[in-house]
Amino acid sequence: MSVIQVQQLSKQFRTRVSSQQKTAWLTKLFRPQYRSIDAVKQVSFSVEEGEVVAFLGPNGAGKSTTIKMLTGILQPSGGSSTVLGFDPAKQRRQLAWQIGSVFGQRSQLWFHLPPADSFRLLGAIYELEPSVLARRTAELVERFALQDYFDVAVRKLSLGQRIRCEIAASLLHKPRLLFLDEPTIGLDVVARREIRSLLSELNSVEKVTVFITSHDMGDIAKVCKRAIIIHHGEVVVDESMKDLKHRALAKKYVGVRYQEPVQFSTGGLQPLKATDRSASFEIDTRQHSLPELVRRLSGLGELEDITIEDEPLENVIADIYAARSEQAARNVTAGGRAKDAAAKSAGSGKEAAGADNGRTTGSGESQAAGGLS
Amino acid sequence: MSTLRMRLRAAGAAAAIGLKDKLAYRINFGGTMLTYALFVFVFSRIWASSLGDSSIAGYNYSMMVWYFIVAEIPLFALGRFFWTLSRDMKSGQVAYQLSRPYDFVAYQFWERIGSALPDLLILMLEGLLIGLLLTGGFPPALAAVGPPDIAAASTGLAGTAAAATGVAAWLRLLFVPLSLLLSGIVNFYLQFALSMTAFWLEENEAFFWIFQKIALVVGTLLPIEFLPEAAQRIVVWTPFPYIAYAPARIMTAFELSGALRLIAGQLLWAVIGLALARLVFRAGSRKIAVNGG
Repeated sequence: MSVIQVQQLSKQFRTRVSSQQKTAWLTKLFRPQYRSIDAVKQVSFSVEEGEVVAFLGPNGAGKSTTIKMLTGILQPSGGSSTVLGFDPAKQRRQLAWQIGSVFGQRSQLWFHLPPADSFRLLGAIYELEPSVLARRTAELVERFALQDYFDVAVRKLSLGQRIRCEIAASLLHKPRLLFLDEPTIGLDVVARREIRSLLSELNSVEKVTVFITSHDMGDIAKVCKRAIIIHHGEVVVDESMKDLKHRALAKKYVGVRYQEPVQFSTGGLQPLKATDRSASFEIDTRQHSLPELVRRLSGLGELEDITIEDEPLENVIADIYAARSEQAARNVTAGGRAKDAAAKSAGSGKEAAGADNGRTTGSGESQAAGGLS
Repeated sequence: MSTLRMRLRAAGAAAAIGLKDKLAYRINFGGTMLTYALFVFVFSRIWASSLGDSSIAGYNYSMMVWYFIVAEIPLFALGRFFWTLSRDMKSGQVAYQLSRPYDFVAYQFWERIGSALPDLLILMLEGLLIGLLLTGGFPPALAAVGPPDIAAASTGLAGTAAAATGVAAWLRLLFVPLSLLLSGIVNFYLQFALSMTAFWLEENEAFFWIFQKIALVVGTLLPIEFLPEAAQRIVVWTPFPYIAYAPARIMTAFELSGALRLIAGQLLWAVIGLALARLVFRAGSRKIAVNGG
């Protein structure tokens, strides 16, 4: 059964633009100018019961806007959606009984009060019988290991502790569908890992369908079974995690270290990065043979260490974002320079996507580092 | 449990959490109490020097002090709904509040009334204390003495009048808190409607400033009777007399029929305010643009 069904869903925002002219304040007053922005453009997809779906895209791609339309907070400008059999645009309150949501950048807990108080309020809001509420709270406190800080004011909790409480709170009324908007944002490695395993457990134990947006590839690779990628408001990829990971398998990173200095330039090898004793290579296995490369490398000298790694999922997704950005840029210029742009796309596109991730995956150096790590 | 009991429980829980949250940082009470005391004291000096033994529009010094004490309570204890509501709208916190199955307007009402209650109680007690210290007794009831001849009553002239004053004092203790509560309800719904204009406008504080300034002049700083007659005739059709003037008038010049009239007016404006709040919310939530991410 489809839990979410989205057809041609669109959202346009109208924002006021102010010109840079000196008389701008005057024209703004009498003739305000608006520009409409297509936040979401005719998005279609569906989610089946029990799935864990990653909803990905760079900042401003339209992820949160889509989630807000699916929860009924925002009215769509076009298209339609059905969530758990309801039309969120018209039946927000009926739908609310059966969904839970966590917005990682906001809090549903009362800042100055212990989580226990917020749970009590939510229990009353979702009209749980006191005995049911008590049982359910105990269950969640145990599963999320909240015992130690359940009666400590939220403002004194660490971010990781708070997010655990947030997710637990969103499950109080046993929702059939959970929307998580960047739940692991700002968390450290350990806290992230805990949240991920909780989410996986949740999906298998509570049978709740999870729709999650995140910038953290670890979340996605570990928790999700399917990924929908949107960019500039359009769905660009909708496939299983397995297929998405398969894209990564085409490219390999090979790192080598020798006991003595060797000459890499002989034999037509082009390392991404090299010192006199070590080097890293990127190889597209659709064009070159990996065993052949390894054979040639081992022929160069006495090997001390060799590593072969897949392209990180992060890079695959960054490539997808970048490809779309390039395409959009091409559509705008509409010139005959497509070839030119395509040639550049690898470099410049990655830079843009890298910046979005807060890291510099753009240059060959960091790729090499990935290969050697 | 029945639906009604569930609804009442949710309302109670909302009020309880608003109250608890308010009590979580008690230090704020000190600030509110201090500013309130300062305000009352400063204005009592102004009235003492400007009125002396005379009176204006039926208000003598003691009445004016009591008027001010009660009229300031809506401003200090029940006047801040707009800010917290607007803050939630602008921060995007409303995204959570809108994804709940409750009636948004009702929930907000209970939560904010709950959080206003401690301030209301504390200021009522503080006001009572300051008033007794400054004037040395309750203002007399109009029914007992008839306005504005107060001097006779304070010397305790007739037994019947004294008895009537006693009854009036008790009724007053009942009516003033009730009227203050109603004033908070009217204030809440009007400020809610104003703050919901944030659905359309990025910056809506101007509306509130205008609202607050009118409320200040009409009934808070000055009794309605101080206004020119033409202005009086207009303001009785607005909600402003039912925010600060109603409870303050009941306190200073208690008279049963007048008090009932004022309470009825407050009830009427509470209903109008509720309808307005619902209307603005319904229209606005269709236009919503949640800020951030």
